[in-house]
Amino acid sequence: MGVNGLVPARFLTLVSHLIITIVIFMNLDENVTACLPLDHTSADYDFNTNLLMVGLILTLVFLGIEFVCFLSGISMFMPIQCLISTFAHAGASIALSYFIVDVWKCYNYYYVFAICSAFPVFTELVVVVGAMVFRV
Amino acid sequence: MAAATVRKAVTSFTDVVFPGSSNYHGLNTPQLSRSGNEYVSNLPLQMALYFNAFYFPFWLVTAIIMLAAKYHALSNVYQIICISILIVMTLIEAIRLYVGFLGNLKEQVPELAGFWMLTVLLQAPLILFLLFNEATVILPLERAVHGIQTAFVLFEVFSGYFAIRHMVNYQVTKFHLKQFQQLEPLYGQDDLQFYPVSPSPEPHLKRI
Repeated sequence: MGVNGLVPARFLTLVSHLIITIVIFMNLDENVTACLPLDHTSADYDFNTNLLMVGLILTLVFLGIEFVCFLSGISMFMPIQCLISTFAHAGASIALSYFIVDVWKCYNYYYVFAICSAFPVFTELVVVVGAMVFRV
Repeated sequence: MAAATVRKAVTSFTDVVFPGSSNYHGLNTPQLSRSGNEYVSNLPLQMALYFNAFYFPFWLVTAIIMLAAKYHALSNVYQIICISILIVMTLIEAIRLYVGFLGNLKEQVPELAGFWMLTVLLQAPLILFLLFNEATVILPLERAVHGIQTAFVLFEVFSGYFAIRHMVNYQVTKFHLKQFQQLEPLYGQDDLQFYPVSPSPEPHLKRI
């Protein structure tokens, strides 16, 4: 494969997605307050808080799965998985930066989550199953 | 001249932290079989160093920008402290990563011990200070980036310890094997028994 620059690129985009998720998680109530109109009810606030918190925790879990699979070496040297992961997490970092700065609605988080967190983990699991089942 | 002094200091430190590296152990069989490795570089440590080297510029840029953003909110003492910590950590990190690469890839114990000392004595306290001292007005982004750097440093502390121990044991075994190889052509191998009495380079021989 020649000089493989995909591996550090994948690692750095994974880390940047992790960092942005942690930043949103630490300021959860401020983010939720910012995305609601000024005359919101307490029920609205609780609903949106739960929505965002579930999304964030799922993102952290999926990032953990990807870190484990990446650092253990199963998919570290597969170019396709590295490409998918790099693009997805780079897109997630940019989208979540816009989420914070442009104050998106809380349900928009799940669009980012589906494309940029769930999809790479799905392909990662396909890779892991392929490595374990078909080559063991 | 200074390099020789540094090397001597690092070697004596290695002997203190990993005792037995300058003693004679005897030919234990587990060590013999382990010394059949083609290499003693430590893979987890090398991975940590490699990714740390890529992560370091981003950590530095983020820390500088965050410091510029919160500078007016710090007290006078902490303004000076934060600036000096960032400068010191930059210099130490560059030296530390370079020496760590050199020591692990070329399997040289003094460089690896120097890397480990720099990590344990300098980087670990500094990064823990940045992560946990609330008087430096820790912002959420700073918590995240310093947390990841702390994870790197702590992992390098633990894996560096095992890397040095393995490397030192390997070199001790290799040295003692080499001693016997040097003496074989002189004496033949039939009715001779070696009784190493003292840890000096020339074991005393007794013909039976």
